Amino acid sequence: MPTELVMTHEAVPGFFGRLIDEGPVMGPRERARQPGFHHFDWLDSADDLVLEYQTTTIPPKKAFFPPRDVLFEFDLTDPPEFRAVRDATPFTLVGVHPCDLEGLRLLDDAYAQEPAEACWPANRARARIIGVDCTPDEYCFCTSVGSCHSRAACDLFLTPIERGRLVEVLTGAGEEMLRVSDVTEASDEDHAQAQQWRDDKEAAVTAGLDASPAEFADLLATGDFTDIWHEISSRCYSCGSCNTTCPTCFCFDINDEFDLGLTGGRRVRTWDSCQLAEFALVAGGHNFRRLRWQRVKHRWHRKFDYLYREFGTPYCTGCGRCSRACTADINIVDVSNQIIEAARQGVQG
Amino acid sequence: MEGPTKRFGNKPQIAFFDFACCEGCQLSVLQLEERLLDILELVDVVTWREAMSEYSNDYDIAFCEGSITREQDIERVREIREQAAILVTLGSCASGGCHNDLKNQWEMDEMLALVYGDQAEHFDTIPSRPITAVVEVDYKIYGCPVSLAEFVTVVKRILTGQSYEPPNQPVCVECKLNDHLCVLEKGEVCLGPVTRGGCDAICTGFGDACQGCRGLMDAANVGAMLKALTREQAHAIVRKVVERYGFTQDDIETKLRIYNNWPELNLEEIAANDD
Ligand code: SF4
Ligand code: SF4
Ligand code: SF4
Ligand code: SF4
Ligand code: SF4
Repeated sequence: MPTELVMTHEAVPGFFGRLIDEGPVMGPRERARQPGFHHFDWLDSADDLVLEYQTTTIPPKKAFFPPRDVLFEFDLTDPPEFRAVRDATPFTLVGVHPCDLEGLRLLDDAYAQEPAEACWPANRARARIIGVDCTPDEYCFCTSVGSCHSRAACDLFLTPIERGRLVEVLTGAGEEMLRVSDVTEASDEDHAQAQQWRDDKEAAVTAGLDASPAEFADLLATGDFTDIWHEISSRCYSCGSCNTTCPTCFCFDINDEFDLGLTGGRRVRTWDSCQLAEFALVAGGHNFRRLRWQRVKHRWHRKFDYLYREFGTPYCTGCGRCSRACTADINIVDVSNQIIEAARQGVQG
Repeated sequence: MEGPTKRFGNKPQIAFFDFACCEGCQLSVLQLEERLLDILELVDVVTWREAMSEYSNDYDIAFCEGSITREQDIERVREIREQAAILVTLGSCASGGCHNDLKNQWEMDEMLALVYGDQAEHFDTIPSRPITAVVEVDYKIYGCPVSLAEFVTVVKRILTGQSYEPPNQPVCVECKLNDHLCVLEKGEVCLGPVTRGGCDAICTGFGDACQGCRGLMDAANVGAMLKALTREQAHAIVRKVVERYGFTQDDIETKLRIYNNWPELNLEEIAANDD
């Protein structure tokens, strides 16, 4: 059992204000141009922080791997010179929902695979993380993949209770963040309210997979389901939004950009998506997944089959972002359940 | 690395030419301001009607803007092609299709009479087409107008002897990489999912829907758009759009035609292709 304390409503702004005074803090805040919609961004003051927010378009992984990330700069001298571009400033990431905490854990594992990726762990080591509990919407299905109550990757976790937040202290770094004036002892009543919140949350998750992750992985492998993939792909734009919004997608592309003087430049990596037509295009012109249906099928197999077998957990946190973002209305839960049903009926084609 | 001086022996000579268009792309290039000075370190501009009075027919690289709408345009662009070692189309008018091509829906006589009335006999016109439909081009820059960042990228590619393939992924990709809010969430229809990217999703960044100014990307799934935006049952976000606009196939066709009427837009045909 981690230590559990209480931060009252009155203490919350002071606590986050102090964190912001200490160094950069990223958290959910209202979009400057679109009031009522939130995204993860750097906070200027504790007033910017919105702790009750609906799932953001882009997950908080952007704090550790920006969509466009400069790896190094170079000068085309003889011999050429290279300068690593790495920011070492410690920062704090706050307001992360459990599914997104799980997303960070999954990326920790993926990027640690040999040959290990160096930037992700270096950036993760710079940050303290504070999680918060949330209210599901119609796209959330965290209960199907076991991320509903995840406390992965975070130092503190906050659950709403009547007089403020119940604070779970999960690491030493979390303990260090708290001052005596921030918190008080939690009473039985506080514990009971937090538990009630968790129970209500779980009950409010309405979307769900009709099979466990283990069973789904097996069912996916029982057939090709080509007819289903054809039908889904006839509606798919290959726009990649299902990947570029996903907290567990880790693919990127790398390009060199020259300065205008053509004497140097920088190497930049950018988020990529397996749904894009040219993702699997290789030198010589061959495209391993030229057809749209092959790419759609690939996404499901990555999330629920290949990576499940590799890591023992689906590479899906149930956050529902891919369904929300899909302007073609391709819903990850609906399609998965369609496959599950077909597989159970012995459809293989 | 092969540098600019190597490729052209000297500072390459650059010329800008315009055909039927609004000249907005040239104007955009002028808006490069200080960056233009950096480019002038690498090249000499010898012809640019919109920006200078000097003129020369001796150039290595030609940037051509606008559509071909008269017989004499065909001749003129062929001459430019002959002279230029490198021909770059500047903007959607020249590269793929743009507003000018809308007139192709009607008879040319009708169009002449509509615009010039009883003076029509003094003018001639042919169906509008991009420069890419008339001569081979070496580089294409889409956009209405072009994006300055992409223009600068292409200039660098030319000077370093590299090819440039315009992006073949939809605007949605850049929209997401910039963490823009999808305009569908605000109940607006967006052509981003079928439109070639490269603009860095500038319109959706300002909260406006994509109008499709870079034209349909290769293998754009227009059929998917018809299914998603005209059907009655769709998920909450798409449903808001459908309810608000009561979108029909005609509406989508009208929107798409603005930048995709060369060759004439055939919605049924492109919607059937779901490769
Ligand atoms: S977001 Fe939807 S339309 Fe776009 S690639 Fe993914 S499934 Fe296809
Ligand atoms: S696959 Fe979809 S639901 Fe699963 S983690 Fe990615 S965005 Fe979230
Ligand atoms: S592409 Fe658009 S901005 Fe450029 S010249 Fe044509 S009409 Fe003008
Ligand atoms: S706003 Fe348009 S371009 Fe951006 S994600 Fe939505 S549909 Fe795509
Ligand atoms: S968002 Fe669409 S309309 Fe705007 S510049 Fe890009 S392609 Fe053109």
